[in-house]
Amino acid sequence: MAKKKSPILKIFIIVFIIEAALVFVSSGFNKQLQIGLDDGKFVFRNIQSHYDLQEKITEEFQIDEYYRQTGETPKIYGSNKTYEFFKNVFGNASAIGTFQLLRMLLIVDILLLFIALLIKRKLLKRPSQPQIIFELTYSALEQFVIETLGVERIHFTPYIVTLFLFIWVCNMVGMIPIPGFMEPTRNLNVPLGLGVFAVAIVHITALKVKGVWGHLQNYLNPVKNPLFLLDIIGEFSKVVSISFRLFGNVLGGAIIITVVSSLVSYVVFPVGLNLFFGMFVGTIQAFVFTMLALTYIGVEISE
Amino acid sequence: MELTLAQGIVKAAALLGAGMCMGMGALGPGIGEGFVAGKACEGIARSPENASLITRTMLVGQAVSESTGIYSLVIALLLIFST
Repeated sequence: MAKKKSPILKIFIIVFIIEAALVFVSSGFNKQLQIGLDDGKFVFRNIQSHYDLQEKITEEFQIDEYYRQTGETPKIYGSNKTYEFFKNVFGNASAIGTFQLLRMLLIVDILLLFIALLIKRKLLKRPSQPQIIFELTYSALEQFVIETLGVERIHFTPYIVTLFLFIWVCNMVGMIPIPGFMEPTRNLNVPLGLGVFAVAIVHITALKVKGVWGHLQNYLNPVKNPLFLLDIIGEFSKVVSISFRLFGNVLGGAIIITVVSSLVSYVVFPVGLNLFFGMFVGTIQAFVFTMLALTYIGVEISE
Repeated sequence: MELTLAQGIVKAAALLGAGMCMGMGALGPGIGEGFVAGKACEGIARSPENASLITRTMLVGQAVSESTGIYSLVIALLLIFST
């Protein structure tokens, strides 16, 4: 019975097999396995004691702080000379985490561009499987935009789809078990930037729709809106809530994966944990971020 | 590393506070998400043809109501790692 599998199921199975194999291979060794660069993520390091675990979480959580406290030259830069260069550029607030973050963002961007070019190269009338997946994603999000904003504002669809795909790929890329790979959304700067961007787009749209004074009198005119101070604070809390939700979910998932997989010494458990905290929570959070940005725009326009 | 008595007390208080913060902060989202899931079950039982819409709305609502728990997680991590 050769039943035809769906492409998503195939991808799941391949990822599962690769991850399981890597976990089994790495759990056989007691020493620290080094593949490629020796930095950042520690999928393969065995932890001896409680203090090792705490040090490791500190390093995952705040890589700048870790290297500043221990006083060693970080290995991310390759050599001492590049480290001195970056220290000269960025000053005392060394940019170690920023460097890793930028590298991961570059990888995500290249991945997105590569996928887009690969799909775009052969667009068919009778679409192939990858094309169907992307068209389904696009048309589903387009349907949300139409439901929330109406047909006349369909030009928001590219922004919404880009937001969703970017955050989704950001959350997925941390599951690749290469040392040094982390989710870019685990650094607070990325969700905060996306949140500020989303709220800025909300206000620019409202200024266009309602006019300058028509929009600003909600925040400046005490006669029309007696609680205008609360509204001003509410705009800042929008940014904080939308960005901290994404950041906290991804970071919490990463720390839980680190702790639990060190408890079971990297046998089988990390696969399930990555399936839940990486795939499920990552997808849900990307969707929630997108939906909230869309809802903010819709609420601001409808009044 | 060597800690003085005052530093030790501060560290212990921060760890205790982190534990309490996480425990209390997990109460609200736990109750809220369970409530949402129960209501979604009722809705699906009443109208099974809307199951996918209800499930989607439920997941989004749960993820939003989870955010207070996430804030307490961030506060707990700050307490643990920045003192």
